Amino acid sequence: MNYFDANTWIGRWPFAFLAEHTPGSLAAHLSKHGIPRALVSPLEAVFAPEPGPANAHLLATTKNRAGLEPVPVINPALANWRDELAAAAADPRVRAVRLLPRYHNYRLKSAVLPEFIAELQRRGLRLIVQVRLIDERHEFHAMNLKPVPVAELAAFLSRYPQLAVLASGLLRSEVRALAPDHPRLLADLAFVEWHDTIPHVLAKVPARQLAFASHTPFLVTAAARAKLDTAETSAAQRTAIAASNLERFLAE
Amino acid sequence: MVVLGDVLGFGPRPNASQLRLVNDETFWLMQRYPGYVTGFCYVNPRLGARAVTREVERCVARGFRGIKLEIANNAREASMRPVMLAAEKHGLVVLQHAWSMTKIRQRSFHTDPEDVATLARRFPKVRINMAHLTGCGVRGVLAVKACPNVFVDTSGAAPEAGLVEYAVAQLGAERVLFGSDAPIRDFAVALARITGASLDARTQRKILHDNARKLLRLP
Repeated sequence: MNYFDANTWIGRWPFAFLAEHTPGSLAAHLSKHGIPRALVSPLEAVFAPEPGPANAHLLATTKNRAGLEPVPVINPALANWRDELAAAAADPRVRAVRLLPRYHNYRLKSAVLPEFIAELQRRGLRLIVQVRLIDERHEFHAMNLKPVPVAELAAFLSRYPQLAVLASGLLRSEVRALAPDHPRLLADLAFVEWHDTIPHVLAKVPARQLAFASHTPFLVTAAARAKLDTAETSAAQRTAIAASNLERFLAE
Repeated sequence: MVVLGDVLGFGPRPNASQLRLVNDETFWLMQRYPGYVTGFCYVNPRLGARAVTREVERCVARGFRGIKLEIANNAREASMRPVMLAAEKHGLVVLQHAWSMTKIRQRSFHTDPEDVATLARRFPKVRINMAHLTGCGVRGVLAVKACPNVFVDTSGAAPEAGLVEYAVAQLGAERVLFGSDAPIRDFAVALARITGASLDARTQRKILHDNARKLLRLP
């Protein structure tokens, strides 16, 4: 099976005992789990005053890692987002950028988003919206962060019905609620779980809207593989979820 | 496999007849799959000592080996006393649902790991399984570390990395139990929390099998 991981991170997360991956250690870890390719973003971009230095580090350190495809983090709420987007787009390996609306204190209905989306489309970049990084019940006690609300994401998707969006970190119920009404939505499976997860989700959501994701280092990588490896589903659906849906999303 | 019963079917505070129905279903599974299914008796401590004692004794007579507690009450409450006395009398394991209440703020009826530690200190002869390692987190592991009668199971939420290894390091491998939380979680994911952890094969076997067999005194 050809796995293409939609959601991995390098760097340090301060609130849990997680692996602090470099591109080299991440690639080795994923390889050990039979995952040859992954989208990767920098954790340092989450809490830094602006994500630029973390993105620059990501782009520099992944240069010789063929399996890792860098996904810079952009904060459209900051005045320099055009420069950051231009810097990202200048690297031919970059095909998508990631937004962290709650961590960066803006809403998907923010007045700056239409201009940002237009610029993103002009540059031919894909959009990834990180709905949650961790279970909100387990956030650091001094932080008051909630995931992007489903209604907010739904309204955003309705405003841009032709825009392909990868939503990372949706829960099972959120994917089942959103995907049928928004056919251009691709949802990663990192937080999606139920008894016999994949058949359960496929009962409501077409396979073409689902993407394999381990969310390394936050979640157990082997668990993400197990979720898909043990699913009673067709080979075609498994292949689509494992890699080809994400490839299609990035190539569109 | 430990079967806890349909603990969500009648809401957080089932009455006596609802509890009997749940436990009768569990007993049916025990009879249908002897040697495979181990039943836990679901009780609601807020129904009072007489109701708790009656239901526990009915279940013990049928071969149940534990008591299941959900979110009818907080484990610090005085209503827990008859439950724990019954567990002590019959040598039953008490499985107490627990989750960190730091962000949830339902502690009036929902049990935090600190509450499990309080319960364990009050009843040191009763073996307690604090359910949901992922929900209890690092703080929860530390809360019960000094209570040798508390075990923790690996279920709860998404499979957050590093927690099983942390629990083993703090509590010792013998106090960590595999838990799937089925049917609201995926068995394959639950198993991979253990098999995908940085633990040697001997430790994994303890968590996946040996510890529960010893705790439940199964053949």
